[in-house]
Formats: sequence, structure tokens, C-alpha cells
Amino acid sequence: MTDDVQATPSPVSARRPLAADDVGIVQAKDFTHPDTFTFTSGQSIQGFTLRYETYGALNATRDNAVLVCHALSGDHHCAGWHAETDAKPGWWNNLIGPGKAVDTRRFFVICANVLGGCQGSTGPSSVDPGTGKPYGLRFPFVTIRDMVRAQKLLLDHLGIVELHAVIGGSMGGMTAMLFAIDYPAFTKRQIIMASTANESAQAIAFNEVGRQAIMQDPAWNNGDYAREGGPRVGLAIARMMAHITYLSDAGMDRKFGRRKRESAGGESYTFDAQFEVESYLRHQGQSFINRFDANSYLYITRAIDQFDPARAFGSLEKAFAPVQAESLVVGFTSDWLFPPEQNRSIALALLRAGKRASYAELSTDLGHDSFLLESSDLYALVRGFLERSEAYVFDFAI
Amino acid sequence: MSKLVEKRTVDMQVIGEWVEPQSRVLDLGCGRGELMAYLVQAKQVAATGVDLDFGRISACVARGLSAYQGDMTEFMRAFPDRHFDRIICSRTVHELNDPAGVVLEALRVGSTVTVGFVNHGFWKNRLDGLLRGRKVRNAVYTTSWHESRPANPLSIADFEDFCREKSIRVARRAHLLGDWRTPCRFLPNLFAGYALYDLARA
Repeated sequence: MTDDVQATPSPVSARRPLAADDVGIVQAKDFTHPDTFTFTSGQSIQGFTLRYETYGALNATRDNAVLVCHALSGDHHCAGWHAETDAKPGWWNNLIGPGKAVDTRRFFVICANVLGGCQGSTGPSSVDPGTGKPYGLRFPFVTIRDMVRAQKLLLDHLGIVELHAVIGGSMGGMTAMLFAIDYPAFTKRQIIMASTANESAQAIAFNEVGRQAIMQDPAWNNGDYAREGGPRVGLAIARMMAHITYLSDAGMDRKFGRRKRESAGGESYTFDAQFEVESYLRHQGQSFINRFDANSYLYITRAIDQFDPARAFGSLEKAFAPVQAESLVVGFTSDWLFPPEQNRSIALALLRAGKRASYAELSTDLGHDSFLLESSDLYALVRGFLERSEAYVFDFAI
Repeated sequence: MSKLVEKRTVDMQVIGEWVEPQSRVLDLGCGRGELMAYLVQAKQVAATGVDLDFGRISACVARGLSAYQGDMTEFMRAFPDRHFDRIICSRTVHELNDPAGVVLEALRVGSTVTVGFVNHGFWKNRLDGLLRGRKVRNAVYTTSWHESRPANPLSIADFEDFCREKSIRVARRAHLLGDWRTPCRFLPNLFAGYALYDLARA
């Protein structure tokens, strides 16, 4: 997921915290699970912490919760602002808020940083209570299922009796999918955007190049590095490359074209950043290393690569057999990382399994990151799915 | 209700009579989900629709229906034989690139296929074409040629020929007069305004 989808600040993201349809100033909270947590791999840790945010209020029947699941490099801060001076709000602020598509006047929205992450939740950069040092590679291998189980413990802690919906894009779509599979009676609706039920070889290949960039950086030191140090060069390169996969050819052309930086002048015979796209990617790489942990990047990309419910259950239809949720799958035409075809496959497998599922596709040129798009069509779709009444509405309008 | 809307509901009622309660129904060219919503309400069917347009899919989703945005033939290819109890192709068949391909694929994926279409052999259409010498216009096809999408109008005789040629068994047929309500018992290709067929594999 990129840090900014639009080249210029959009009207929505430029709005300040006190806008009427904004959740305003928000604060992260920590949930600590005190007991031993055993991962899918069989390895375990002595308890964990998940950092999370909530918006809106839980109703008396405790069934208006909407869980938002973030992508690889996302976090728990999906809406609102931490301070009035923040440059940017949460990453899905355009979708979530009072009166927005995910209406916080109606729903209790929860978003947690995943297990294995590095934005406050327990992950490889956390201190191992056994040794007093960061886990590093001693941290157990994480799967999407582990992330889901950890978030379910958080939801239990919050007293949620059922999820009105779980929503996620990219890796968040995988998380949502597994919520519907593993907690069928609990998960009433799921929205899966720009996701896949199993990555293509190409997507695994890109993740592997990112991991190699990190692991070939001498500062990685087999995952053993100080908090402020580590493979900064490798992580920045991993991010730059991954960032290209989140955009599209047409989108990059529209955003940068062959435009050169003003400071580049007429001097062409250097390897300094001359094109805007170069300085943009360098900036993306640099800003990423200040907020993300290289080991978390390895662990989470591995979890994404290994996600394959069809293989785990025998087929995707078998995987979806227990699902009770109504499903909405959304693909984006210019997404070549998790292309429309892979999103269609999810919807078709749900339908073959006899489930209620819809598939809609938006034409955009923003690539994989399109799920963050500011689009009234997308908002109407999401709102319609979340707010439709149980009773069928029938009228004779044509 | 306008005359056209009223006609639409008659169409729905005939299909509604044919649909088995609680059956699994696929609506090809589902639009904004009017027919599906009616069948869910009247017959408690499990309905899924297919359409090409995002706005129509979004409208179906908002009224609580399952709908899939994409090509109907590709959609059907993703399902095993007889996955659906009934596949409905209501007022869509004349807009298809490959009507035979769609109907034959529907006969594989569905146990029964319902096709409903406006009869272009209806005497008023013939007369309109004859007297005006222009593209036929009527209550359903209101636009002139340059405002219209490409369409492949068919008559009852055309459709009967097609079924015979492809050895498709006609399990049931309903020919309605110009009011789309009264059954037409005499020379349907001339006197029926609307036709509905229930098809099955021979």
C-alpha cells in the first residue's frame, strides 16, 4: 500500500480533523493477551500486544462492529488524526467516518495492527521477554491465520458478539476471507478488495526480490540489529520496487510522465534523481525505513505468499464451505498485482459453494492501490452492502 | 405506473409462476435486480444475477441481492452442469453477441432455461415497418436507430426455428397479446406481443 494515492492532496485528505464527516482526533490503544499464543507453525510466544483504534460506539447488542484489515505496510490508524498538526489522516479516512461509506454514526469500527507487525503490535522488533532483546528471527513464523486468531482475541476482549462486517484490501482481503472461513457464525459480511485467494508466481517473485534486498544488506545481520539501525538500504529498495507494483503504467504516466525535477536542470549525465518518478520512489523508500521494520517486512510478505486456502482445504469451494457471511468482492481493472481475474475467482468459488456473493469491478488507472481510491461509485457500493436491510426491498422502479 | 412498467410486472408474474419455490436461479442481464427481488420475495429463491454494468451491480448489492459484474458466458463456464435450477434470460437475448452460445451454455449450467422476448413478428411491428419504412418503434423500443444500441430483434417464428434446429426441447411456452397479459391462442407470431419459453435439453 502506498503512502499517498493522489499526486496532489485531495479535497478529502486535506480536510482537517474537525470536518463534520471526520472521526477527528483519535488515539491508539493496546490490547495485551497475557497467555501463551501458539502459532500455526507450532512455535509460541508468551503473550502478545495488538495496537488498535476504534471509531464510533458499540451498540447495546454488541453487533454493530466493523473490522477493518490493513495491507502489508498499513497499520491500525485507518481513520482520523493523531494530532491536528498531522500531515495526513489514517489511511482509509476517505471511506470511514460519520456519514461516510463506513458510517461511524452507525458502526463501531475497529482496526488493529497485525501480529508480526511493527506499529505497536508484537512482532520481530518487539523485545522477547525471555532474553530482553528483540526477537529478530527468533520470532515465530506468522501466517494470515495467526493474524486472524490474534485479532479475534482482541474482538472477544472488546465484547463483540458478531461482526457486522469485516473489510480489507490486498492482504486485508485475505484476513477478511479467513475471518469468514474460521469464524463463520461470527462474521456476517465480508468485503474483499483488490485481493487474491492465492498469489501468482509473479507476486511471490516480487516479494522475494524485496526480501532478498533486505537479506543481502550486510546491516540485516541475520535479522539481528538494533532498533534504529538495520538494513535501511535493503528495506528502502524493497519498498521502492514494491511501490511500483502498487501503481500502474498508465497511472504512473499520468502522475509523473517523463517530467524532470526542476533542480535537475539541463544536466543529464549523472545518476542523481532526474526524473520525478525517481525522486518519488526514493522518497517512498526513505520515508518507509523510518516507520517500518525490515524483519516485519520479511515475516508479513512470507505470510502473504503462503496464504492459500484452496491448498489448505483441498479446494477453494471446500475452504468456503463453512462461510455464512454475505460477501462482496471488488476488483480494479488496472490492478496487475492482484488482478480482477483473481478477485473474480474468489466470488465464483463462493457462488459455487452456494454462498451469497457479489463481484463488482471499478475502472481505474491507480493499479493495486485503487482500493484506496476516492470514488463515489466505490463508496455507494460499500455503503449499499453494509447498510442494506435484511428484508429484500422490492419496488417497480426500472 | 407507466404502461411500460406495468408491462414489466406482467413479464415478472409469468416468470414468477414458472419458478419453483426455494430454487436456485440465475438471472442473465439482471439489470438493477427488479426480477430477482420479485422472485426472492414471491418464491424465496436463491438468486444470482450477472450484468456488465457497475451501477446495476451496485444497485443489486444495495437491495440485498447477489450480483456478478462480468460476461455471462464466462460466468456460466465457471459452474458445473446443472448448478442452477433455472436460468432466466428475460429481454436480454436480442442484445447478445452470440445468442445461441449463451442459450446452449445456459442449458448446460441450468436444469431449465427461461427466455422472454418482445416478438418482432407482432402485427403492429410489421405494420409500423411497412407503413413508416423506418426502424420499428413501439412502447418498448422507443428510440430511433441513432439513439439505439445494436440489437438483434427476433420473432416467435425465429425462436421456434432456433429451438428445432438445436434440438432444444420447449417445455412450456407463453404467448401474450399486445397487452402482455392476455394469452394469445391464434397465430402467435402475428398476434403475440411478448413470448416466454421454458427450455430444457432434449
